[in-house]
This record gives sequence, structure tokens and C-alpha cells, in this order.
Amino acid sequence: MPDDVGMTAAVQLFPTCIGDVVAQQTATDAERVLDALGIDHHRPSATTCCGQPAYNSGHDGPARAVAKATLKALDDGSDLPILVPSGSCTSMVRLHWRELFHGTPEAEAATRIARRVRELSSYLAEHTDALRELKPSLAVRVGYHDSCHMLRELRIKEAPREVLQTVAGLELVELDSSERCCGFGGTFSGRYPDVSVAMADTKIDDMVAAKIDVLVSSDPGCLMQLAGRMSRQGTPVRAVHLATLMAEALA
Amino acid sequence: MSATREDVGGTPLPPGWAKPAHQPDAFELTTTTFAERAAKTMARPFARGAIANATDHAAALTTARFVGTDHEALREEARKIRAHAIANLPDYLDQWIDQAERKGTIVHYAADESEARRIVAQICTDQQITRVVKSKSMASEEVSLNSALEAVGVDIYETDLGEFVVQAMGDRPGHVIAPILHRTKDEVHELFSAMAGHELPNEAEALTAFAREGLRHAFLTADAGISGGNFLIAETGDVLLVTNEGNGRLTTSLPPIHIALVGIEKVLPRRRDLAVLLPLLTGHGTGQQITTYVSVSAGPRRQGEPDGPEQMHVVLLDAGRSALLGGEFEEALHCIRCGACQNVCPVYRQVGGHAYGWVYGGPIGAVLTPLFRGQEEAGELAQATTLCGACDDVCPVKIPLHDLLLNLRRRSDAEGHVPRHEQVAFALWAQVWSRPLLYRASTAVARGSLRALARNGVVSAKSPLLRRWTAGRDLVVGKRPR
Amino acid sequence: MTDRASFLAAIRSTPRGLDPGLPDRREAPDAPTQLRAGEERPDRLQAEAEAASTIVHRVTAVDVGATVASVLVQADAQRIALTTDLAPFADDVQAALVAAGLTVTDYVEVAPDRARAGALDATVTGCIAAVAATGSVVTSAAGAGRAGALIAPTHICVVRDEQIVGGLHELFDGDALAEAGSLFALQSGPSRSADIEKVLILGVHGPGNVHLIIVAPD
Repeated sequence: MPDDVGMTAAVQLFPTCIGDVVAQQTATDAERVLDALGIDHHRPSATTCCGQPAYNSGHDGPARAVAKATLKALDDGSDLPILVPSGSCTSMVRLHWRELFHGTPEAEAATRIARRVRELSSYLAEHTDALRELKPSLAVRVGYHDSCHMLRELRIKEAPREVLQTVAGLELVELDSSERCCGFGGTFSGRYPDVSVAMADTKIDDMVAAKIDVLVSSDPGCLMQLAGRMSRQGTPVRAVHLATLMAEALA
Repeated sequence: MSATREDVGGTPLPPGWAKPAHQPDAFELTTTTFAERAAKTMARPFARGAIANATDHAAALTTARFVGTDHEALREEARKIRAHAIANLPDYLDQWIDQAERKGTIVHYAADESEARRIVAQICTDQQITRVVKSKSMASEEVSLNSALEAVGVDIYETDLGEFVVQAMGDRPGHVIAPILHRTKDEVHELFSAMAGHELPNEAEALTAFAREGLRHAFLTADAGISGGNFLIAETGDVLLVTNEGNGRLTTSLPPIHIALVGIEKVLPRRRDLAVLLPLLTGHGTGQQITTYVSVSAGPRRQGEPDGPEQMHVVLLDAGRSALLGGEFEEALHCIRCGACQNVCPVYRQVGGHAYGWVYGGPIGAVLTPLFRGQEEAGELAQATTLCGACDDVCPVKIPLHDLLLNLRRRSDAEGHVPRHEQVAFALWAQVWSRPLLYRASTAVARGSLRALARNGVVSAKSPLLRRWTAGRDLVVGKRPR
Repeated sequence: MTDRASFLAAIRSTPRGLDPGLPDRREAPDAPTQLRAGEERPDRLQAEAEAASTIVHRVTAVDVGATVASVLVQADAQRIALTTDLAPFADDVQAALVAAGLTVTDYVEVAPDRARAGALDATVTGCIAAVAATGSVVTSAAGAGRAGALIAPTHICVVRDEQIVGGLHELFDGDALAEAGSLFALQSGPSRSADIEKVLILGVHGPGNVHLIIVAPD
């Protein structure tokens, strides 16, 4: 068991590997939102990655080796919720770790952790009354992108919208293509860059047509894809994580 | 061929109108990569737009069709029927054969593609068949049937309007339901005008009329009709065929011989199962309540019937299907070829059916092709998806396509079909990221390098490691200036 | 050559997959192809048929002949064939067509010669059933023949009220198909294609002009 357990924490936060490398702001912003809500939080120091890049490429061995490190870091003997600011990583831990660790000494712990992980927006959606009392406010026109694993594996669709709607002045627009894949697909984005970018473009065309200021999503992978393409094209739409938008609205 | 045979109505098509059929080994799968094939379609902006529009349209019609009904319960019922039929496939096939033979159907058995070609060519030779009308059949595409018939001197007329265009162009169908989804009216206009020898009006109606006249003549003179089959009904020995144009029924009614080539997995236990499967096939295929024509036949014309073929042959096709029984890919056999997964697939939407290199495109193509053609030749297709799961949610018989694709990736890994550099990369990755200290060091290095590369929080340099990302995208690592 | 025994033996030699059992028909779920509560069969049949571009006529038995004649005059049909399943109305129809100056043949006579069948302008058939929820008429090889309903540019089908079933379950569970012969077929409106840029064209290989005459009970 790691020695850095936050004894007073109410929730743990798993920043994910994309969070550690390119999207550090996401976990920081998630913490700011939790702070505003008065929810104690703690980041276990030894987490790495959930193993998804290898798992979804069919390489279960490497996936298991990496996921095991994160499993050990998260399995602190508590039953605190583990918040993950990524639908995709949540779905990996919650739904696929059991299969990945089936028949290994970690099987039991994997089941334990699977029960504890929560996708961030679905956790925040349980605190919308408290959020409203904090009077978050931001005058922006927002579109939401449903990330695939969050929508179709975790079946979370309304929660992030409920959270966004606590923000005064925020206008939430339903995009026609909100449920269509952005083209990231993990290793797919590198294997087939042209197809991947073309997929992003159809989403971006839709955002531009809907005249939104900000695209919000709950998956750093999708955001990396969409923000990266929009940056290259000079598209005047920001792509941010829900945690970032909420932190800005609460600031 | 006597002069009177030709003098029947309709207008004969000019000699040589059809391009030579594709040879069995001529699939692009063997010579090109997915990315290369995808690039071809993506280089044609109209084709991309047309594919996107047509698939969005079809997907919307499907959604609308089931509003106000318990769609989920219907899909679950269909899943059970298909799973039961496939789990008991030998018994139901046995029953179907008994019933079909009792009604005078001549049943043939094709263990593989080449045997299917041989059987149908042999029937044509034996029965002196020189002209065949064909109703759309994906099974015949699988076995490259047309080339085998050409080799024994048979003229083939594909009678589905889309397939007719495909045949005249020497193309391949781009979608299981809508074969020329990727073609424009202008292309068809140019093609048909050249066939007619004069400029036709550039309108769908006139172009359709031209095809109808040519094919009407073929229907009235053909020696045999060749079709596929959408279902086989075990309890009655029926072969079921759905079409909208009516070409399926004319193919199986007018010529003196009907030959159907049908995959063994198409079997259903009972006619009443059609009450569940038929609305799902048509609702998910075209969004229709029912297709215009549903034809259910068992055996040749009987005494006292005014029309119909004197012989009915059914060629049962295995060609890789039985090998899937009882294994982790068995559910791929539940497929009823409705095309719904193609219509919702965000990858198919960009690249179209040809990118998949063989007969079936989209998610089911990415599953069936590696299973039927082998991992070596087609394993790559399972990588050509983002695993977004939209196909799972739309499949009328609830095939877990996402899981099957993932299992194919696993199989690639287990059987050593993964490129060496990828294996090394993941092994190295696991070595580093399974150790929190090394992980922290590596992410710190990555962050530092990205910061060094970044200008205003954005990495766009085409450095070798990031090349495949930064060719079309930036990497946004800080707050982007507003 | 693979024979039946070796073909099936190869399939039988594979492991057996999971069998959920055949679902219980009594709990069959709702499909769009079923009659909804409170719907009258002829009304739903008319609505669905019209939605599929069929022209529907609702008449009593005495008006069948005149209705057929007026449709065929309007269509300018010269070569007209009747199929044997028109039986209850055949004499009336024949008389009405003759009165309208039209000549009529029996499909049974024409059908053996494909060229003659292919040259027909119109066919008039009965049916073995109609399916209200799909707007379909069900014909049989024994009655309308395999191609009788779609060989000519105009098809008129006459259905009696008591032949209408609610939906597909009722069709397949009932006995309407028992004497169909070597084929039964559902047709729902004109032949159609949208292969060229999604533009809907009626009357491709089958009829573009399809009429359904629903005969009210006496």
C-alpha cells in the first residue's frame, strides 16, 4: 500500500497519462472545482496509465503490466470514489480491467477498483445544487462532444450537460454530430492520420456551423484531437475539458 | 442463338457493354493497404460527400422507423433467433435440405469459393446456358462468380440498377445495400450515354429507363436467373429474397432455370421468425417498413402454376463460415447483411466500401474479411476502426462488433502478425510505464520536450516522433492564445 | 465434389455455440409491422399502402369491375391479363372491360410465352392475403403466378376485406399461405430504386402504377 494516502480525502483523483503528459491543466482544474465544492481530494502519487493504449491494440500483456502499476497505486484499502477526468479511462478501469486481470492475483483488486472509479462529470452531476449555490457564471455558447466510450460503454449522456447547465450565462447548443466519433481512437490517430483528421473535420464543420465559442468534452483524448486540428486550421473555437470550463466559471 | 429469341421487347444492350468480371485473386486487399485505398476515395470530394449524405440519411430513416416501438426488445428477440439458428446450424440445414428437396429443389454443396464457382459453371455448361440475369448477391461477389461464368461462355446481366452500373464500369459495389453510393449521376449519365450511342437526358428517371429497357430484354431472353438469398427457412425449405426494383422476382421467375447461391448462415428455423427478422432487415437496411418485394420460393414451378422456372438449384456456400462455429467469432455469422453498421460508422463515412479491399465494408467488413480471407491478408482491417461502438448500438441482431474487432486485434498479436516495430514499442512502453518512477521520469522528459518544441503553447513541428500526429494536427500543450 | 453428408459432417464437427433457445412467440415484442391497438385493418392497410405510393380504392363488390375498367382506361392499357385468383370478381371485371372496349386475356394463356407476358400493359390479380401494417398484398404462384403482379407497368390487385391480416405475425401464423404453391410474395407499392444519388424512381423493373382495390364486406 502506498504511504501517501490522503487520510482526510473524500475522493481520489486519477489524472490519467494524457493528463500527465499533455493535459495537466485538466486535473488541476478538476481539483479547483472540487475545492470550490469543499470536497477533499487526493492524488495517489504512483499512478501511471490504465493500460488502454495497449489493450485496445490487442496487446494484453503490456496492457496488464502497465495497468497493474496503476491498480496498485489506486488500491489503498479505502473505498473512496476514484474520480477520473476521462470517460475512456473510466470505462477501461470500470468495465475492462476485470477481464484484463481475470485469473491473475490482481483479479480481486481489479474488481474492487472497478467499483470505485467514477467518471468526473457523473460525480459532479450529483452536486449540481451545491454548484448552483456557488453561482458559476460564464457568457459563452457551448457545444458538447459525447466521447464514444463514455456514451456507449458507460452510458453517460446527461450528466455533463446537467453540470454545464449550472453555469449562468452559458448557452448549451446540441450539435448534430455530438455523438459521432472525433477520429482520435487512440493508436488509430497515428495509424491512419488522414482518415483521423478527416473525421475531426466533419465535427469541426458542425461546430463552426453551430457558431459555438467553446467545445466541451470529458475526454482528454478527444480534446487533444479536436483542439489539435482546430489549432492547425485556425478555427475560432476553443476545445476544453468540462473541468476547465467549470473552473473558469467558478473563478 | 436464333433471331426470334432477340425479338421480344426491350432493347438489347450493345455487345461488350459489360467490363470483364474481376478474377478471384484480383481483390485490392492483396496488393494495397487500407490507407492507400482510403486515400483513393478521400481524393474524390464528391464521393466522400455522397457517402456521408447517403449513410446519414439511411441512419436517420432507420431511427425514425422504430420510434414508438419496443425496438430493443425486437432486437433482443432477433438476436436470440439468430443465435439459436447458428448454434443448431447443422440440424436446421439438414431440415432445410430435406424440405427443399421434397419440393424439387436441387441442392448443391460448396465447401469453398472455388467449388461454388465450379458448381455454377457446371450447371451452365450442362444446361447449355449462355445468358444469365443476376439479382444482387454478395455471396456471388465473395466467390467472384461472374468470372467463372464468363470463362464458360455465359453473358451476365446484373439487373439491380446499382449492380448494373458497377458491372458496366468494371467497378465493385461500395455498400451492401446501395452499391453505387460512391458514384454520381453525372458518372452514370456519361456511362449510359456511351452505351446508348447517343446523349441521354441527365436525369435519374431517364437513366433508369435506359437500364430498364436493356435489362427487360435480358429478362425476356435469359436462359437462367442467378440470385442470392436473404434467408433460408428450415421448416419449409424456402429461399427468401428481398428487392425494391422487382429484379429479384423477375430473375427467379422468368428464365427456365433459377440458381440461388446462399451462405449457410442464412438459415432461420421457421417462417414465423420472419415476423421479427424481416422488419429489422428492411428497417435497418433502407428504413422501409418492408421492401417493395419479398419473394419466398421453394422448388420449381408446380403443376397448374402459370409461370416459374422448370428447375431450381440452390448452392449452399460454406467458404469459411463453419470454421467460425463455436468459437469467439461465431456471432459474426448472425449478420443479416442489412448494412446498418456501415451507415453509422464514422470511418466508413469517410472512406467508403472500397477501402476495405474485399466484398464487405464498414464494421462487419472489418470483422468478416480477416475471418474469411485470413489474418495475414486482411488482419489490418481490424485496426482501421476507432472502436467507437456505434455499430454495436445499431446492429439489428446485436452483434458485438466492437468486441469482435478487439478480439481480432488480440488474435493478430497472438499469432504474430503485428509488425515488429509495434511489438517492440509496446514492450518498451510496458517496461517503462509499469514502474511509477520511470513513468514519472518519462512523462517529465516528454513534458519538457513538448515545452521546448512548443510555440505559444502549441507544438506543430514535424519532428520524426510526432510526424504522424503533426502532419495534420497541432499538439496543444498549454493554453492556446485567444 | 462435396456431397451432403461430408458438407454437413464438416459443419457438425465444430464445437457448439451458446444457444439461448427459441424465444416464446406469445411474448413477441412490438414491431412497426404489427397492427396497433384500436386500428381497423382496412384503414391501416390503406394508410400504409398509400405511404408506399399505392393508389387505393375502397369499393363494394358491385363496383369492382367498373373501378378496374376506369383505372385501365386511364392508364391507356391495351394488353391486359387477368390471373385466376381474381375468381370471385373475374366475370364482373371481364364484362366491365369489354364494355369499356378493352380486350382481355388470361395470364395463364400468356405466361408460357415470355415475350407475350413481357409485352403486357397491365395485369389484374387477386391475392391470398393483404397485410395491413405493411401495406402489402400477398400473392401466390398458384394464383397470380410468380410474375403476374410485376410483369406489366400497371398492376391492379383486388383484396376482400376478410383477406386482410393485421401484421406479419398474423400472416405467418395463419393458414393463408398453406396453398400458395411454389412461391408466395409480398408486394408493397410500385417497384422503386434510389440507387442514383438517392433520387426515388418508381417503376424500375416492376410496375410504376400500382392500384389496390379493397372490397368492403357485403
